[in-house]
Amino acid sequence: MAHLASFSFTSSPSNSASSLSPLLQSHQQPHLSSPLQDTLINIDNSATMTNSYKYSVLLPTYNERENLPVIVWLLTKTFQENNINYEIIVIDDNSPDGTLVVAEQLQKIYGEDRILLRPRAGKLGLGTAYVHGIQHATGDFIFIMDADMSHHPKFMPEMIRLQQAKNLDVVTGTRYAGNGGVYGWDLRRKVISRGANFLASVLLRPGVSDLTGSFRLYRKEVLSRLIESCISKGYVFQMEMMVRARQFNFTIGEVPITFVDRVFGDSKMGAMEIVSYAQGLWKLFVAV
Amino acid sequence: MTRATEAATAIGILGTIYLALLFQWLPITLPPTIQEFILPVLPWWVLVTFGAYSLGNIGYHVMTFRDCPEAYDELQVQISQAQNDLRSKGIGL
Ligand SMILES: Nc1nc2c(ncn2[C@@H]2O[C@H](COP(=O)(O)OP(=O)(O)O)[C@@H](O)[C@H]2O)c(=O)[nH]1
Ligand SMILES: [Mg+2]
Repeated sequence: MAHLASFSFTSSPSNSASSLSPLLQSHQQPHLSSPLQDTLINIDNSATMTNSYKYSVLLPTYNERENLPVIVWLLTKTFQENNINYEIIVIDDNSPDGTLVVAEQLQKIYGEDRILLRPRAGKLGLGTAYVHGIQHATGDFIFIMDADMSHHPKFMPEMIRLQQAKNLDVVTGTRYAGNGGVYGWDLRRKVISRGANFLASVLLRPGVSDLTGSFRLYRKEVLSRLIESCISKGYVFQMEMMVRARQFNFTIGEVPITFVDRVFGDSKMGAMEIVSYAQGLWKLFVAV
Repeated sequence: MTRATEAATAIGILGTIYLALLFQWLPITLPPTIQEFILPVLPWWVLVTFGAYSLGNIGYHVMTFRDCPEAYDELQVQISQAQNDLRSKGIGL
């Protein structure tokens, strides 16, 4: 657990965090170091949220016709029950299965102020989908999650609470700590996941337990800043976001999440992914 | 400093100290057991220890990787709730 123990952002305040401060000063206090142990305490779940911020959810979709309605239903349910002001931005890359048609139907049900459609003409990849989505986001905070239901909205209120309690810049879901976990992974996938995460934690020492996860809450300006400075693609992109966040002295908290492998549709995790992961990791080791 | 330069610096410094001790470049006399028996095999010992630590770490975390069937069951129920509700609102599923 050596890499977990090092979870604190106490590096000298010399670097680039200061260049962002004019933007953040309005609602940001000096960066505090926060041991992981602190950030993992379970916060009372029952209280409803009284919070005037707006939360934008970026949902990139590619062939998610079956998943999208259910995830949107779960999202709206969670936000309504917790009194959270929200918008859901669907970034569909012209999915051949007609995801966009379903998205339009959902927009009719939930309203154009709640469901925003920002489609693109072709499959341009996840990284640029976030760039595209954030340009249209009107929220103060941004949630990034997959649309395949492997990320469950029930964890969002807790992520928000942790963000508020500690005034954090980033809250990331972790499958690897506390009560986090996975469903539907065989031994091989677990070994790959753990090995990849161990390698990354040794080389990059990022201070978070789940580097490749992509269920996260960001302060909007922080996300823009991070996306701007990131150079990687694919799985490594999520990792770089955390490494850059550490580099810029942003504060990060973790909330344990359960990850249920997608029920509808196919996931991609083959030898090619492993090779490109290793290459991307090496690039980050040398560059950050 | 990038993580790579940090690592290179640390390895460079430790490596130099090690070589200096091994080849007795410094006016320091170490006990003969250290000089003759420990120093020559120290790098291998470090390598093996690190390898064992890595395997142990990964193995431990794979073994303690929590399975969450309850999350799957909950999701299944919610999926059918959502589908029923959405169908009643006119979405073709
Ligand atoms: N807009 C857009 N979304 C994508 C693209 N590739 C994947 N996605 C979406 O990104 C999320 C994660 O993709 P997924 O295939 O589940 O990746 P995995 O979980 O890493 O295997 C899902 O919501 C996908 O629909 C893409 O090229 N464009
Ligand atoms: Mg997925």
